Amino acid sequence: MTPATGSISTLVAGLWLFNIVLDTGGQLAFKAAAGDEEAGDGLARWKHMASRPWLWLGISCYVIEFLVWIAFLSLIPLSEGVLLGSINIVAIMVAGRFLFGEKLTRLRVAGILLVTLGVVIVGVGG
Amino acid sequence: MKRFYLIGFLLLMTFDTLAQISFKYAGTHALPVAASLAWVLRVFGQPWIYGAVVGYVGAFFTWMSLLKHAPIGPAFAASHLEVVSVMLLSVWLFNEHLNLARVLGAIAIIAGIICLGLAESREHPAEVEPEPAQA
Repeated sequence: MTPATGSISTLVAGLWLFNIVLDTGGQLAFKAAAGDEEAGDGLARWKHMASRPWLWLGISCYVIEFLVWIAFLSLIPLSEGVLLGSINIVAIMVAGRFLFGEKLTRLRVAGILLVTLGVVIVGVGG
Repeated sequence: MKRFYLIGFLLLMTFDTLAQISFKYAGTHALPVAASLAWVLRVFGQPWIYGAVVGYVGAFFTWMSLLKHAPIGPAFAASHLEVVSVMLLSVWLFNEHLNLARVLGAIAIIAGIICLGLAESREHPAEVEPEPAQA
């Protein structure tokens, strides 16, 4: 386990990929929990969400992601880390398209391509 | 409703920024990274981790409140504008250098986030405050 110096190490890349999976899984689980039409309002809404698995799945993903992200950021500069982490936006959009049928319009595709381009530039150029 | 979004997004950005700065401090203090209990104990053995917890929990409740009203796309996109505040604070707090790749990458990413926000606003006009003279 050697810390990254200059270029991105295998460990950093692995933590980055694991973070994408956990963040996307967590976001989608929260969307499923919060978007439940039967949930009601106020305290009843929280009770309803707590009685179903989605909220807990989301929290589990986030707890693991919490540690993965700390490990990731400790190995590279923070300004580089947050930019590389922006790929989560792309992952969530693509997952939303397949799981919730959210449309990928031309403007959204442009957004996805621009974010991806930015992450590639940072990943290659540091 | 517009003010609700604005305050919500700013609050989310503040919590997210606090969390990222704390994550960096906590991780740096816990080096070297290892898949071990010793590393986890090092992470939780110094105060920065609690700043991260406050940021994380605060962002979580702000996010869940926003999601109830806002569609996932723009809420998620707005929450990611924290990259700007975190980058600027990184230069000041950690003496990091914003090289050409990071600046160009950030510009592309922010442009992409704005595209995604615009795409959502056009697709969900009923859920966004009507804006006069805008397609």
